[in-house]
Amino acid sequence: MTNLQSPLSIYFHIPFCRHRCAYCDFNTYAGQEAAIPAYVDALIREIEFLGQTIRPSDHPTTRLPDHQTIRLSDHSTIKTIFFGGGTPSLLSPAQFERIFSALAAHFPLDDPETTIEANPGTVSLDYLREIRSLGVNRISFGVQSAHPDELRMLEREHDFFDVIEAVTWARRAGFENLSLDLIYGLPEQPLDRWQATVKRAVDLSPEHLSLYALTLEHGTPFGRWSARGLLPTPDPDLAAEMYEWADSFLGQNGFVQYEISNWARAKDESRKPVPSAVEGMKDENMKIETFHPSSFILHPSTACRHNLQYWRNLPYLGLGAGAHGYAGGTRYSNVLRIKTYIERLTNHQLPITSHQFPLTPATVNSHRNTPREDMQETMMTGLRLTREGVPDAGFRQRYGLSIAEAFPQEVDELLKLGLVEWVDLSPLRPPSLVGKGGWGDRLRLTPRARLVANQVFMRFV
Amino acid sequence: MTENIRNFCIIAHVDHGKSTLADRLLQVTGTLSDREMTEQVLDSMDLEREKGVTIKASAVRMNYAAPGGQAYELNLIDTPGHVDFGYEVSRALNACEGALLVVDATQGIEAQTLANLYSALEADLEIIPVINKIDLPSARPDEVAEDIVSLLGGQPDKIIRISAKAGLNVEAVLQAIVQKVPPPKGVDDVPLRALVFDSHYDSYKGVIAYVRVVEGKINAGETLRMMATGFSIKPVEIGIFAPTMKPVKTLNAGEVGYVATGLKTVQECRVGDTLTQAAKAAPDPLPGYRQPKPMVFAGIYPVDADDYSDLRDALEKLQLNDASLVYQPETSQAIGFGFRAGFLGLFHMEIIQERIEREYDLDVLFTAPSVEYEVVLHDGTTVLIDSPAELPDEGLIAEIREPWMNIEIFTPTDYYGPIMDLTTKRRAEFKGQEYPAPHRVQLNYTIPLSELIVDFFDELKSRTKGYASLDYQFAEYRPDALVKLEILVNNEPVDALATIVHKKDAYHKGQSLITKLKGIIPRQLFDVAIQAYADGRVISRANVKALRKDVLAKCYGGDITRKKKLLEKQKRGKRRLKMVGNVEIPQEAFMAVLKLEEE
Repeated sequence: MTNLQSPLSIYFHIPFCRHRCAYCDFNTYAGQEAAIPAYVDALIREIEFLGQTIRPSDHPTTRLPDHQTIRLSDHSTIKTIFFGGGTPSLLSPAQFERIFSALAAHFPLDDPETTIEANPGTVSLDYLREIRSLGVNRISFGVQSAHPDELRMLEREHDFFDVIEAVTWARRAGFENLSLDLIYGLPEQPLDRWQATVKRAVDLSPEHLSLYALTLEHGTPFGRWSARGLLPTPDPDLAAEMYEWADSFLGQNGFVQYEISNWARAKDESRKPVPSAVEGMKDENMKIETFHPSSFILHPSTACRHNLQYWRNLPYLGLGAGAHGYAGGTRYSNVLRIKTYIERLTNHQLPITSHQFPLTPATVNSHRNTPREDMQETMMTGLRLTREGVPDAGFRQRYGLSIAEAFPQEVDELLKLGLVEWVDLSPLRPPSLVGKGGWGDRLRLTPRARLVANQVFMRFV
Repeated sequence: MTENIRNFCIIAHVDHGKSTLADRLLQVTGTLSDREMTEQVLDSMDLEREKGVTIKASAVRMNYAAPGGQAYELNLIDTPGHVDFGYEVSRALNACEGALLVVDATQGIEAQTLANLYSALEADLEIIPVINKIDLPSARPDEVAEDIVSLLGGQPDKIIRISAKAGLNVEAVLQAIVQKVPPPKGVDDVPLRALVFDSHYDSYKGVIAYVRVVEGKINAGETLRMMATGFSIKPVEIGIFAPTMKPVKTLNAGEVGYVATGLKTVQECRVGDTLTQAAKAAPDPLPGYRQPKPMVFAGIYPVDADDYSDLRDALEKLQLNDASLVYQPETSQAIGFGFRAGFLGLFHMEIIQERIEREYDLDVLFTAPSVEYEVVLHDGTTVLIDSPAELPDEGLIAEIREPWMNIEIFTPTDYYGPIMDLTTKRRAEFKGQEYPAPHRVQLNYTIPLSELIVDFFDELKSRTKGYASLDYQFAEYRPDALVKLEILVNNEPVDALATIVHKKDAYHKGQSLITKLKGIIPRQLFDVAIQAYADGRVISRANVKALRKDVLAKCYGGDITRKKKLLEKQKRGKRRLKMVGNVEIPQEAFMAVLKLEEE
């Protein structure tokens, strides 16, 4: 019997796109939209399948042998749901409705943060109203740039007017939690163009912003063009400057950075300068979330709770073609191709006892982490959280030893290099005791380490 | 007794098809069945096969029934095909009475063809020229035959033309060997003198000496003595290569075979030494023995300091089979504990490096090769140094002498200009020229060895579209205006990056080395200053700016595994860097000095 002691998240992968963007290496396919209905059926079967192997603790009977059943503790309700892609907004409201009723039938939902990724230009006011009424309460628009020529280079099919329209409609449809994705470090992009994009995005008053540096991925058109010398390689120093400028600009405009690439705005305080980490404790807009008695977490209430689940190395189920999951100490991923995914779930009879939670008939890779691997991953992901870092008490609770005991040389070296620091976000602790194994101690990146964070993560793997 | 024995070797320029012809001879004589036949049997090491050259000589006995029905014993002695192994070649030639001179029908005569031919003539061998690869579309056998005739005399149409690869006309080669190569002359009833022309280490039988009995005979069980090294030997067994080792009772005068010496290292059984009977020793050894002298030196360091003892083991094992590899412990202030090793030449060094990495799976760092300098001090003493780091304080030095080599470059006349340009840049002195074949010129120079080991061969090849070839021999030590060029990384001299250069080259070499290093040293978490320093002043400086951005962007749908793999890969890359102080330097930096020509 495995006990999950933390909230559980669910990720749905929707691998359909009208057009494949030139820089994208995600698992998504253009021109297969005809398969969407069958794909939604398969998703529902995967939900049902997982529903067979996961039962609330108060459920009197289980149909499977006990060792294959995951008993959820009180904290193990579903608190976040995320539809990523691909283009999830290609699913109709009716299709979302079917998915949500299947979810409600099989999982203990607890007022989940429910996000969909959407492309501006693919949504209408009616569509947004309908999905909002179904329970989608967070929407993330792939804006990328405010400049038509940059969007053309990226092969995005929208322009910034579509973005303004989509944001306006989303607000009118009742979305109070809205995020925009932006890309910086484009080939030959000058600093001022990036600044204009950020300013225009901020003018739309989103609750959340994700800023991603363009990476030229192998196997994408961008990767090939760059390898052939047709596309100039972006200048990493300029990209660093763009990042630093955005960080300071967003800080002045009411955004708090909580992860290397993510900023959240304290609600209704859009233009108020952000308090420092310690002062933040007293700010009522900042949320203290307790998921375990020995640990606490501090972040703006508009931070993406689903992403936090990843960075805190907490469990999530991944459903759909090419989806990744991590639950019960196992990392796994599903088959990539849409057709195979559908076949695997259609051809198979429920229940199947040869699969063990969290694996499903769609799983193709799975790896049960050793405690050491799990520790490595907790450091690698947790250090991405720029405010929160990795709480030492939580780490000890989870692995039975402190961070400094698990990684003595690594922590020592990184402290000396000035890339990590011990902090205690509790205003009550005298600074002299911070880092001495106190209750609120957490290890996190120093500000200068954010841009060279691989140098830190690398040491923990 | 010896009437039906023929001892011969094959001499050729690299890649002219020596090994393929050897294979074919083994096949035609039935020494190996087609089934047993793996490509290029005589080159048993993978590395040799890949590089297309023979590193260790081998010997093999073939039984051949000539068309008249007469049976012959043919001993083929394979010779190393590279310029670094000239001495080994000369010993192998001395074990023969005849030589097949293989010339590529597409390439014609080249420097090593000539060098080997002269050695063979010096050893008084009967030469049988053979034109190979006549099946290739670009073959020009008539032209090549003319060239050969102008060298050796004879008639162009009498020269055997074959394709070893296609098995064309190989029988004619065997008949020529029988007809033209004289049988060995030695007599059995005198004290034994047997030439050791190669050796290898066998973990069961100890060092196996490859021998040619010149006179007298070897009886199994008899105690023998190495005349140069003085070691006494009680052979484990004696035998012939047929083609694998096959024990026999006696090796008679004129025969080729092996003696399993039981010795522990090849250093005790050197190529060129003479074996005689302990009880009835010959008065004089065979002429021509000398101890191979390493010409090129380099530091070998484990990339990971924990591998030091593994590296020592690897070198020990390599030395078992390679008497010309010498090494001793060395400590670099910058890169820690390692070894200083001496090699016959740059090619020999490359082979050792590859074998350490491949056969022993060690990540090693080779410092830029150096030659051995004679440093005369003001107090009259002379010190020998083979590492720039050892160069005494400038104030103490009266004179630095460096080794010069005689080189012969053999080239089509079209490339006269580019070669002159290269040799002038490399401080070579022109000695003269010869025209051994039409449209071909042999240019003779003397050149400092230090200039020769720095990419000279590659440069020569690229300037002549691959047509020129090179042979070299040691000439003498000569004094010159030499200075140490030091590299400082964050103000600390890095001993392993120091080189000795000519004073007039110090400025531009320093500059181009700094430019090179700036491109090679990865950006670190802090600025890294690099400076070149010679003759009391800083010649050039540059800054490797601190790393500004190195962070993975978005994590796609929670795919932590992929991110982790990328980080693990990055970490492995970092492990291959060498920590010098707090700066991480890649291995290529230590070889950068070799590649300055391109700047």
